[in-house]
Amino acid sequence: MNERVRVLQLRNVMDKGEGWGRDQGREVYQRMLRFVEDSPGVLIFKVSMKGVNRLDISFSSETIVELARRFRTRKGFCLVDLSDQDLIENLGAAAEKKEQPMLVWHDRSANLIGAVPSEGTREAFSFAMGRPECRASEFAQSRGISINNASMKFKQLWEQGFLLRREAVAESGGVEFVYQRIG
Amino acid sequence: MQCIVRFPPQWIDITRFERALLSSCGPHNAGTYQVIFEFPVGCKIMVDAATRLLSLINQLASTTRTVLLDFQEGDAGTMGYLNRMGFFDHLAGDVEIVQGWPVYSAAEYHRGANSALVEIARINKDARDEDLPTRLTNALMRSCGDREDASALEGAAWTIFAELIDNIFSHSRTALDGYAALQVYSGGNRLSVAVSDSGIGIMDTLRPSLRSEFPRLHNLSDTDLLVEIFRQGVSRHGTDRGCGLKGCAGKAIKFNANLDVRLPQQRVLLTPAQGSYRPNTAHCYEGLPLMWGTHIAFTFGLGS
Repeated sequence: MNERVRVLQLRNVMDKGEGWGRDQGREVYQRMLRFVEDSPGVLIFKVSMKGVNRLDISFSSETIVELARRFRTRKGFCLVDLSDQDLIENLGAAAEKKEQPMLVWHDRSANLIGAVPSEGTREAFSFAMGRPECRASEFAQSRGISINNASMKFKQLWEQGFLLRREAVAESGGVEFVYQRIG
Repeated sequence: MQCIVRFPPQWIDITRFERALLSSCGPHNAGTYQVIFEFPVGCKIMVDAATRLLSLINQLASTTRTVLLDFQEGDAGTMGYLNRMGFFDHLAGDVEIVQGWPVYSAAEYHRGANSALVEIARINKDARDEDLPTRLTNALMRSCGDREDASALEGAAWTIFAELIDNIFSHSRTALDGYAALQVYSGGNRLSVAVSDSGIGIMDTLRPSLRSEFPRLHNLSDTDLLVEIFRQGVSRHGTDRGCGLKGCAGKAIKFNANLDVRLPQQRVLLTPAQGSYRPNTAHCYEGLPLMWGTHIAFTFGLGS
């Protein structure tokens, strides 16, 4: 089976520990893109911030956030090894502007920065975050709502970049989607 | 016509700098061929006014006007302070100084020796200094590194410098250099951060794109538009850009900083209210003497 998750060390594609400005960001973006394209079959990239001292908002916007937006619905990008409040704030500001959600993982828990789920999908998002994979039917059953309604919520979360999904065979024999959290 | 800009014999902050400019007949006016700046005994130029002054003088010199600086207290006064900041290292070579140009650059002489000294840094897009935001921030930390909130202040200052300077590289389209500087005043209680460029000005780059990109903002006054630039982020490149200045404002507001933006003929002063800059607490001064570019200054009240 192919490797499904890979760590992208951001520092390795940066010239130095500080990421500053749009032009520098665009150069680093190309290197990140190459890394992603050289990793066929990988669905989730954990972008590690180890060794990164600073990122401004413009650089963050042109690199990680742009990459996550480009691959939205197809591949997922999340952040690891990140505790510096200032970095989190700048990445969050860049993600918010591009309406891109990003998860920051600390061991087994995650914080969401950037875009937030709408009121109507918030509960479904929490449900999906509570397990590695889930189906709309499971959420529908646990909340006593219709499968259609639950499917709509998950589809929206997938389209907006909060979750990934893949096709699977349902018990009935038809096709259903399995939704996966990013990270 | 000769134009004389007389500064009063006191501390010159941005407001006094503007007042002196307004009392003159306009250095950039078409009929002006010579501009004299007078610095009487007791006149002390503060850092944010100094960066604007430097930009203005170099603009005038680039338009072949004769510029004469008269430092009446000589090297003991504001001339010495400006020399320590590297003001004369960046001043156009054909500017005349009544007392004569300093024989040496005090900034160069003292470089690294005085930890509290902060120099004016040059911003030139053809010779991009990749360490500039870090060097400026390190200089700040030499004055403020002992504070409890030093780490937050360091992060905020770095981001503000990074975004403002990168903005000059991206937008200002000018052959003239821009400048950045900072200074800590009043025993560490007040921090001024100033970034100045002589480009075509933030409004002129933004206005043409508003109709297509932000129709809702198209009819706003310059003041209201400026508030929106810092509040929601507005860029000529569309709705998903413009996060830089908004982010700067976000950092500055955490320190309750005032924001002063000088446009070619306007000045907008923004004071934070309820966690953001708002139109109803913005003061706008219109019809000011022409100064090319965009000049941004944050004043942080650091408390003790």
